[in-house]
Amino acid sequence: MKKQWRQLFYHLLLWSVSIVFFLPVIWILMAAFKTKNDLLSIPPKWLFTPTLENFSLLFSRNDVLPALFNSIVISCLAVVVAIIVSFLAAYSFSRYQPKGTNFLMFILLSIRMVPAAASVVPIFLMYTAFGWKDNFLGIVLFYAMFSIPFSVWILKGFLDGVSPRYDETGIVNGGSRLHVIFRVILPQVRPGLIAAFIFNMIFVWNEFLFNFIIGGKSTTMIPVVMVTGATNEGGVDWGFVSSLAILYLLPPILIIYYFQKHLLVGMTFGTVRGEI
Amino acid sequence: MRTRTKEVETTDISRTPDYLQKLVSHIRLVRMKWIDNSRYFPMMLLMPVLIFFLVWNIIPLLWMLGMSFYNYSLLTGDPPFFIGIENYVDLYFSYSVWESIAKTFTFVVLSVGIETVLGIMLGILFWGSKSLPGRRFFLALLFSPMVLTPVATGTFFRLIYEPTFGIVNYFTKTVLGVEVNFLGERAWAMFSVLVVDIWMWTPFMILITLAALGSVPTAELEAAEIDRMPWIKRFRYIIIPNAKFILMLGILLRTIDSFKVMDLIYQLTRGGPGTTTEVIGITLFRKAFEGFSLGWSAALAVVTLLIAIAFTSIYLYILNLRTQREVGE
Repeated sequence: MKKQWRQLFYHLLLWSVSIVFFLPVIWILMAAFKTKNDLLSIPPKWLFTPTLENFSLLFSRNDVLPALFNSIVISCLAVVVAIIVSFLAAYSFSRYQPKGTNFLMFILLSIRMVPAAASVVPIFLMYTAFGWKDNFLGIVLFYAMFSIPFSVWILKGFLDGVSPRYDETGIVNGGSRLHVIFRVILPQVRPGLIAAFIFNMIFVWNEFLFNFIIGGKSTTMIPVVMVTGATNEGGVDWGFVSSLAILYLLPPILIIYYFQKHLLVGMTFGTVRGEI
Repeated sequence: MRTRTKEVETTDISRTPDYLQKLVSHIRLVRMKWIDNSRYFPMMLLMPVLIFFLVWNIIPLLWMLGMSFYNYSLLTGDPPFFIGIENYVDLYFSYSVWESIAKTFTFVVLSVGIETVLGIMLGILFWGSKSLPGRRFFLALLFSPMVLTPVATGTFFRLIYEPTFGIVNYFTKTVLGVEVNFLGERAWAMFSVLVVDIWMWTPFMILITLAALGSVPTAELEAAEIDRMPWIKRFRYIIIPNAKFILMLGILLRTIDSFKVMDLIYQLTRGGPGTTTEVIGITLFRKAFEGFSLGWSAALAVVTLLIAIAFTSIYLYILNLRTQREVGE
């Protein structure tokens, strides 16, 4: 009996810790469904009649839907390109270990570790000089490069875990090299592909600085809209900010729920693996 | 630099779902003799990445390196002219640069320190959560702060911190009777920014701690249980030696990430009030895109790049230590 109470207490504790970490998001969720007066009321209102006014205002703006479209299309395209390219490179690194593999892997990781604010200056100069600013392809390819280091690291980790026996067997049985890569090896690194896809999506989805600097009218993504469109008649339009934030935060939260298994691998560049 | 770990997922073809196999089998793989016979096949596979690397990294890097030796300002409209290492000399004697480096390090030490302590404590608390009802749902709630868009979190924490109608101020007013302008006052700004960062990234350290504890062999723990070994000794002799590598990797990743912090602070305070929260990322951004002195910020960017590479080397050193130890076992 005593043990059961202890168990219950332990579970209650864990539940409340999780909810405490989620509280700020709940507060924003509530703000998104409040009217302007409820939002600014003192003391803050916990009970209110929910309204969809903020969302209808949000979608009546002419910059939100194109930006949402851009966010989805750019991040999907960039990540798909990055994963195809990185899978080939990771296969080469893992199976043939050409000269300089270690050095290249080190350089790739360093790219990801450099503060965005440091690399944005040269990228900006290059994009203005080549006239790639506000170019859809320019942005997609930049984000592909942004996702490559992580994908190569994660996929190489998974490919190292697949025994080279599979390759040998495939070749001996008369398969071509491409056959071995795409039919034999590719299906076996599925968890790595999923993790790379999901987490690069999140990173690109969350990226603000580069889109702000090298993007333009036709390639704006949601974070930029949130920064530039938030102020309205001198003050901040909180109804707009909270409803847009909820719309934008939902996909990552859902991903965390559905792909929890991949979370650890995804957040550590594929260098740490295990059960949580 | 083999990243092979003990917990490599079992690769069982039968687990592959139909859709992926179907998709792959639709791709016609023509047997191309020249590919199968080529000696350069490994290089061919690498080519796309190398091209990406050349265009988006080597060229900008060289450009930046070159630019850092020029006086190039977009404000004056003058063509850039060569000034040698003057930008670097200027950086060295600039008070504001040293100040922002000092601030960055304060930020990194405090945020990573507190996140590590809190994360390890909560991680140990969550260690036995395997039987928690609704575990997946609650872990999703717990881990969600770290995948949220920093720009969005920055913006909505401004609402939470808002001096007149923000929720935090409501509590300070009712409990303490004072109204604090958390983001606008010099004394509070850094603290408030730190709180947001800690809220966002403590879950990451919890995740790392859970992974580290998961890497402790259960057999050894069971043996300790049977021997009735005291908990302090279990930590000292079983848990810490096994868990320390993953923990160190986690802490280093956090260090690198918090060194990079920019969008969150930019959205919360824009580096203000004054320069109270101006970390190195903000300085770079402000100098380049508000002050338009590109040569000078290129020089600062080169310095930051070197610091980041140093961090990465340490990270890889520890990663190799861990791999070597596992291979040695």
